[in-house]
Amino acid sequence: MVEIKDKKEKKETPRPVIAVGDGAAIPSKEDVGLFTAWRFSFIGAIAIVAYLVIFSPDPYWRILKFLPDGILVTFQVTTASIVLDLIIGLFTGLGRISKNRILSGIASLYVEIIRGIPLLVQLFYIYFALGRIINVPAMASAIIAMAVCYGAYMGEIFRAGIESVSSGQMEAARSLGMTSSQAMRHVILPQAIKTILPPIGNEFVALLKDSSLVSILAVSDLLRRGREFAAESFNYFETYTMVALVYLIITLFLSKLISIMEDRVGANR
Amino acid sequence: MPTDNNSVMVEMREVYKYFGQLKALDNVSLDVLDGEKLVLIGPSGSGKSTLLRSINQLEKIDHGHIIVDGIDISDPETDINKVREEIGMVFQSFNVFPHKTVLENINLAQVVVRKRSKKEAAEISRELLNKVGIIEKANEYPDKLSGGQQQRVAIARALAMKPKIMLFDEPTSALDPEMIGEVLDVMTKLAKEGITMIVVTHEMGFAREVADRVIFMDYGAIIEEGTPEHFFKNPIQERTKLFLNQIL
Repeated sequence: MVEIKDKKEKKETPRPVIAVGDGAAIPSKEDVGLFTAWRFSFIGAIAIVAYLVIFSPDPYWRILKFLPDGILVTFQVTTASIVLDLIIGLFTGLGRISKNRILSGIASLYVEIIRGIPLLVQLFYIYFALGRIINVPAMASAIIAMAVCYGAYMGEIFRAGIESVSSGQMEAARSLGMTSSQAMRHVILPQAIKTILPPIGNEFVALLKDSSLVSILAVSDLLRRGREFAAESFNYFETYTMVALVYLIITLFLSKLISIMEDRVGANR
Repeated sequence: MPTDNNSVMVEMREVYKYFGQLKALDNVSLDVLDGEKLVLIGPSGSGKSTLLRSINQLEKIDHGHIIVDGIDISDPETDINKVREEIGMVFQSFNVFPHKTVLENINLAQVVVRKRSKKEAAEISRELLNKVGIIEKANEYPDKLSGGQQQRVAIARALAMKPKIMLFDEPTSALDPEMIGEVLDVMTKLAKEGITMIVVTHEMGFAREVADRVIFMDYGAIIEEGTPEHFFKNPIQERTKLFLNQIL
């Protein structure tokens, strides 16, 4: 899903890299074609929304007024999931590289199982499994489900990031008397973060889109709000046009934001 | 020169280390005295780096005992981190921390491991930076430094722990020729202070000037040992002569 290349290797042998994520493509300045495609679709989407709302306020303006609650929920689910997801990812990543057979076994098993089951099935499963054990609000169990599903991928990102730091760094830290967790915290992870940040940004956008799946779990996110509106008004086509455009604007905006953030991180070392 | 009481700082007894089928260390026994300057030479793959790295357990030995300052590090009960605090190590590839400034590089383990206050650590760091001659780079990041400067940071970083032993694993092999001198100068200066030093190097000039004893290794075993003079004037073993002819 995510390919992290060793920087040195990249410099010496410019092997072609197929980098296909499931997030919206994050535009970079070098990639001129995508950059203009980004502009075209972003400005285009906003223009279409404006056009529809102004020239055909019924139903488009009514739809647009109906959606913000859902947008908020979508952001809440996404943000909470990504935070939980980062924690799960860190421990999964550390588990995967652990010399302790049991820890690395558990982490690998988790990754294998999660990657082998469709996200929608996992969502249903965790949602209803949680419901049998404890009574948690729909929102909370949707967040947990998303985080658990995405944690496996995040774990792989962390693992690859940690492994991208040269082994000499760990040896130097250990030779100074640091324990392996001190070395991880003070030496390895701060260096891994730089490699990890771009794919995390990608994951965030991908997670935001996939969060639309929670609309089947009684969580009133953006998509569900659209469904509710459509069911009442029977304006299915108009509603889903609006929903799609709003998703598109949000993900394109976030992709841009992330690419700006990456530039900053790259610039100040 | 070895100090007065001639106590043993590092003792290796019948040490074996395998990498798969390869015998990296083949029945190595060796005493290094407190304050002794020992230079290890030998062709690549002869086991000299492995020997060095086994002293602070970056390589775990498969058989035998290594006793450092009275503590048997091959004993699984030993807290290796405690022992490593007393053993400084300098690597061929410097391994300075690129995300920290020069000063932070040297402060880090002092604060995290030795539990010194930040202020105290910074004072020690500055003193050491003066000693290795790069105090003006204190607030630079390592990527702004030359290889020779980075290696001197690495030496200062190891010294900041106030170790009893310093291990040098080919400290000048990755350096451009014009920078080798500055690093060897620092090492020579350090040697005069009485710390125990074990150095893997091909710099025979350094060995001649600093070493109390030179050990020649090949195929994981100690082939010949003696004073630098012995190696320059009349080495006995054929393999030693062959090797010295190649590098001198």
